[in-house]
Amino acid sequence: MSNKKYWTSLDELNETPQYKEQAAKEFNFEIDANDAVDNGGTNRRDFLKAMGFSVSVAALASACKIPTHKAIPYTLDTRKAVPEVTPGVADYFATTFYDGNDCINILVKTREGRPIKIEGNTDSPFTLGGTNARAQASVLSLYDVTRLATPTIKNKKADWKTVDAEITAKLDAIAKSGGKIALVTGTVASVITKKAIEKFAAKYPTTTVVSYDAISNYATRKANQTSIGAAIIPSINYDKADVIVGFNTDFLGTGISSVENTKKYIANRVPTKENPKMSRHHQFQSTMTITGASADYRYPINPSEEKQALINLLAAVGGSVSSVKNLSGKDANDGIAKVAKELIAAKGKSVVVSGTNDVEIQLLVNAINGTLGNYGSVIDTANNYNLKSGNDEALAALANDLKAGAYKGIILIGANPVYNTPYSEIFKEAIKKAELSVSTADRPDESAQFGQYIAPDSHYLESWDIIAPKSGFYGFVQPTISALFDTRQVAESLFTWAGDTTPIAQIVQNEVAAISGGNYQTAIQAGFFGSVAAGSGAGANVGASVAGVKTETAAPKGMEVIFYEKVGLGDGTYANNPFLQELPDPVAKVTWDNYVTIPYSYAKSKGIDPQPSEKNVPIAKVTINGKSIELPVVVQFGQAANTLAIALGYGREKAGKAGDMVGKSVYPFVKSANGAASYSTDGATIELTGKTYELGLNQTYHTLMEDNSLPMRSKKYRGEIVKETTLAEYKKNEHAGNEDREKIKEEFSHSLYDGYKPNDYKQGHHWGMVVDLNACIGCGSCVVSCSIENNVPVVGKRQVYRSQEMHWMRIDRYYNGNPDNPDVSFQPMMCQHCNNAPCENVCPVNATNHSSEGLNQMAYNRCIGTRYCANNCPYKVRRFNWLDYQGADSFGKFNDGKRSFTDTEAQSYMFEDLTRMVLNPDVVTRSRGVIEKCSFCVQRIQEGKLTAKKEGRPLKDGDVKSACQTACPTNAITFGDQNNKESVVAKTFETSGRNYYVLEEQHFLSAVGYQVKVRNKDEEPAQYFIDKPSEV
Amino acid sequence: MYSCKPIRKILALIVITLFLSLSSTSFAAVAVPDVAATDAAGVERAKAGMALYKANCTSCHAIDRKVVGPALAGVWDRWESEAKLVAWVQNSSKLIASGDAYANKVFNENNKSVMSAFPQLTAEQVMDILIYVKNPGVAEPAKAATSTDAGATAGGAENKGASAWYIWALVAFLVVLALLLWTVTSKLDKAVREKAGEVVEEIPLAKKVFSNKTFKVLMLIGSILLVFNIFGGAIDLGRSQGYAPDQPIKFSHALHVGQNKIECQYCHTGVEKSKHASIPGTQICMNCHKYVQQGPKYGKDEIAKIYDYAGWDVDKQKFTQAPKNIEWVKIHNLPDHVYFNHSQHVKVGGVKCQTCHGKVEEYEVMKQFAPLSMGWCINCHRQTEVKFAENKYYSVFQKYQDELKKGTKSKVTVEDIGGTECQKCHY
Repeated sequence: MSNKKYWTSLDELNETPQYKEQAAKEFNFEIDANDAVDNGGTNRRDFLKAMGFSVSVAALASACKIPTHKAIPYTLDTRKAVPEVTPGVADYFATTFYDGNDCINILVKTREGRPIKIEGNTDSPFTLGGTNARAQASVLSLYDVTRLATPTIKNKKADWKTVDAEITAKLDAIAKSGGKIALVTGTVASVITKKAIEKFAAKYPTTTVVSYDAISNYATRKANQTSIGAAIIPSINYDKADVIVGFNTDFLGTGISSVENTKKYIANRVPTKENPKMSRHHQFQSTMTITGASADYRYPINPSEEKQALINLLAAVGGSVSSVKNLSGKDANDGIAKVAKELIAAKGKSVVVSGTNDVEIQLLVNAINGTLGNYGSVIDTANNYNLKSGNDEALAALANDLKAGAYKGIILIGANPVYNTPYSEIFKEAIKKAELSVSTADRPDESAQFGQYIAPDSHYLESWDIIAPKSGFYGFVQPTISALFDTRQVAESLFTWAGDTTPIAQIVQNEVAAISGGNYQTAIQAGFFGSVAAGSGAGANVGASVAGVKTETAAPKGMEVIFYEKVGLGDGTYANNPFLQELPDPVAKVTWDNYVTIPYSYAKSKGIDPQPSEKNVPIAKVTINGKSIELPVVVQFGQAANTLAIALGYGREKAGKAGDMVGKSVYPFVKSANGAASYSTDGATIELTGKTYELGLNQTYHTLMEDNSLPMRSKKYRGEIVKETTLAEYKKNEHAGNEDREKIKEEFSHSLYDGYKPNDYKQGHHWGMVVDLNACIGCGSCVVSCSIENNVPVVGKRQVYRSQEMHWMRIDRYYNGNPDNPDVSFQPMMCQHCNNAPCENVCPVNATNHSSEGLNQMAYNRCIGTRYCANNCPYKVRRFNWLDYQGADSFGKFNDGKRSFTDTEAQSYMFEDLTRMVLNPDVVTRSRGVIEKCSFCVQRIQEGKLTAKKEGRPLKDGDVKSACQTACPTNAITFGDQNNKESVVAKTFETSGRNYYVLEEQHFLSAVGYQVKVRNKDEEPAQYFIDKPSEV
Repeated sequence: MYSCKPIRKILALIVITLFLSLSSTSFAAVAVPDVAATDAAGVERAKAGMALYKANCTSCHAIDRKVVGPALAGVWDRWESEAKLVAWVQNSSKLIASGDAYANKVFNENNKSVMSAFPQLTAEQVMDILIYVKNPGVAEPAKAATSTDAGATAGGAENKGASAWYIWALVAFLVVLALLLWTVTSKLDKAVREKAGEVVEEIPLAKKVFSNKTFKVLMLIGSILLVFNIFGGAIDLGRSQGYAPDQPIKFSHALHVGQNKIECQYCHTGVEKSKHASIPGTQICMNCHKYVQQGPKYGKDEIAKIYDYAGWDVDKQKFTQAPKNIEWVKIHNLPDHVYFNHSQHVKVGGVKCQTCHGKVEEYEVMKQFAPLSMGWCINCHRQTEVKFAENKYYSVFQKYQDELKKGTKSKVTVEDIGGTECQKCHY
């Protein structure tokens, strides 16, 4: 299968000359080292001056006294009941991460009282220890310098007493006069906040509570009101489905409770020799998401065709529906027929899901599932969600009333309607004019800045709460640090204004006891209570569902635009989190921006060819029904023809230093359809402006290639890097897709020098890692986790553009096959800790060398920055500190703390004392001029070994887990000791037919084994084998 | 032995009545005699009293100030009879329960903290204590001797400095002498040669010196030494062996560890659990210093600083304020890129504190004992034997285990199991 071509970008697909030139270089951005330090050139005199200066500084420094350091003991106030803390030993608290979309049971690692890392809670029956990128990055939001330190009155600092007194006085006055109060919230999954709202509404009876989600699932609830008789979002047991059919849904990435669903999905997606079974996943979609990338079969359809596709599918599975019409694409038509056949064969063990916020589409989905009998088995309506409970119609009605001036008071509870609703102007005016306007935002955001009062909410790591993501299951939230600022959690503010001043901790404690099955002691220890036991609940009424659908469909005008959510940034709430801004979009691999993606076919027809490199992309003007927006253009393979896609959640104006003015907001373009917000529209045009844009794109460099320079070998297109097969092949032969491995092994079994053995690890440990390409969905949770664990700096857009980002691990995304609908492979790539490492023997100062435990060690303080190692690394995983990102240099030029994230030079977010609290004290921060790379989390290895030594027992498998491993929601990464024959790693290396090493033929003896990706396809279409790529 | 107790009591009573009849001023009080230094029997009793006082009373009482319990000076005037006072000492709760008015008053005045019962103390012994408390001067040895000792030590230090000065002066004198002698001899030599009729060429002194072979050799040796010295000095930059800075509180390890034999881990609680041995917070100091209010060297001054940091009100015997951090000056500074873990060395390796920190029990002022250089670490890792047999963790090193059994290897050092690799300490 070595003739399969994998590509990463348009330039590479077409093998343009500039691509070839770029790929040959390690550091592709021509940077003058002086540029980073000094804008002027350096000549001999300057050099001598600098040398003289450094010598005299060194002499001076040595003549002076060594600076005195303080040793501050950990002092406890014995008058209070304070927990005993052993400095230097981490404490873990079980709590729950939540936003309107996700609820994840987590463990928070604290050191000396500071939360520094989030880990999944493996005891949780709900999320089973999985996390996502947002949860991982949330610990940094705690130390956000933009957070308000006190409540404010008209954007001036105030104290709670005054604020509370003024607010309650105004509330009383409004309520007495019969004036209406609007309480605008996001999804409230918190039992406590819900109670507080009830109490508030009871005290001020003229209150109207309106919940909305910036990115809504309201249509699902509304459709279920018709189909099931209750406005719910049911659980979907992907683990019980043999056939999964998704329509524009991103349940693995941004969908409701994505971690929970990912865990379920993956349970049935990894075949083994003993049990070569996996579910089949079809995906009909317009854009390319990680869910689409994971699908076995993917069919691009336009958003306007989704309804017709569902009608056709309903008819094909035996539903009584008229007006079946052919879809425009042949693939999609064939797809519907194929899917229908498979769905009928898997009745009761299949599911059709749509992520489109359209009532008719959801009704059709319900009708199909009802016809197939999937309710009760795969779809669980009893166990339904409290997440995503916003009401689009109520929001629209509120906007109407606000326009008419019907409300005297507006209270925003975790809502930012000026930014994330289409009713921006209405809310802005209403907030400005209201007699009372309060926001609980933690910063003066787009909405709060116009209001009178800001009663800043505490971070969730500082709060007490009970979150009910689903009926019957509760996530417990406890503070892991006392409030950093004079903030107060939302529920406490509402209780206070409602006249209840019971301490919030007490309220939570009482509430746990009041919930059946709740036990405070268990809850505080476990971090959750209640059960996720499967219920069944009502099934959909097919007839009623179909009756709710108007079967005629209108043809779209112009191009269609899809507004989608990104895995990192979400609806924009996390805009000021630099880790999430710098997390590359899993598919487009772009950081720090939103952009308009165009399909490959369109780019080809219009001759859009990003020049001179893919990073300088053209800027296009997109006009949607009269309104225009200028955005950079990215070509997206697999996107449906005649569509454009733009991410929501960008273009924040008042998010903070990192998030302000990153990308552009497209919330104003979101319109309503059938009472629900519609995230696609037609009538768009696009034209190039002739300008170009520097995009922080991050896969066209650091790219892996086979060595095609050797004349003896046939040309290869990453067949030694990504390996894949089909389930049918795998069932026949467990080495399928991996056949050449035996040959490689055989080749290297001979040696000219008989006694040559590069390294043997006959005793002690030999660390290794298994990465399962089948399990990896590319979500990026591991990338963020790695960065936080290892103090990996965020570098900012400009530096990413210069190819100087610092991520120790990345997820390579490869396309192969038809550029209009390619297969996608994700490959986590980190230091392979080669036993025959090319980097080690080129280091002139032996700063990188091998340990007796098989680790490729990097001694930062020995490194002199020649970068030979990075140049010689075949996996492109070594990173050079071009600038002082962490303020580690004592003579740092950039230590002024004033630079912003869009600056052309170094990023300064880690220069703030507050932000530095997130740093892992067990890992050193690297200074400018040294190379760094994945260490296999050596600090965790050392800690695990030490614990075993202290307990006087051998190290067990699983005692040491790398940060990427613990963060992974799909268990795609397993770390362990190859010398421990009981370990997963040793067993997999020994017995798995899917095991291979990247670039094994080059004999680097890597310590990371990848598992061949198995796609559940019947057969491989012929076009997947491409010898001459110029055809496409 | 017990049988003689009542007799002693009676004897004591007789003595007391005698005293009572002698002193006309203290009818409603306990009579405690003043003891003159010449009164041998009285001094003897005071000394016995001091021993008892130090053994039993000092954790809660002081003579002239309130600690947990009230000041003991004048206690003889406060109690109406010796019998009651003795009863109080032997079992205060019983006396309080009996409803005695003064006993209850004392109890209430002192935060209702119960005084420990001392049933083992006889009335006579209680009196001994009181005699000491009233006449502390006669029991204690003359303080003059101590001050002389201190003077002697200081003098010694001065002498040491002086002797160094003398040596330098002597060297300088000898150099000058050598130069003089050399000039004289060369002049004489010249005179002798001239007398013999030789024509003596006048060579400039500098030329003479520089062409001198011995000088050249000396210069060579000198410059080599200089280079070595500079090199060594440069290596030592940033190291601070012997660093003993002034600290915010004059804490003496010699007193706490050397004299009072407090275990290191009583205060440095993290040493077996954590990377940090940890410096104790005031909460640990106050475990003892609630009671120990005066030190032998600095008296109350230094301990008063602890109270200030801890927020302890001495009069109320309560923590009244939030504790403040004591900003100790850090002595052992490892570079930032070094990871060091105390528990690895102490708990797993069984390394004694003194190996790296020196004889802390003798340090009046804490100082850095070891150079804390990488060479020093590595050397120890090369020499130190791993507890291979005791700790089951090391079973993973099968090859070494076999070799040890066979006897082909005598010991496994830290280096053998990778203890000198970069990423054991740098990450």
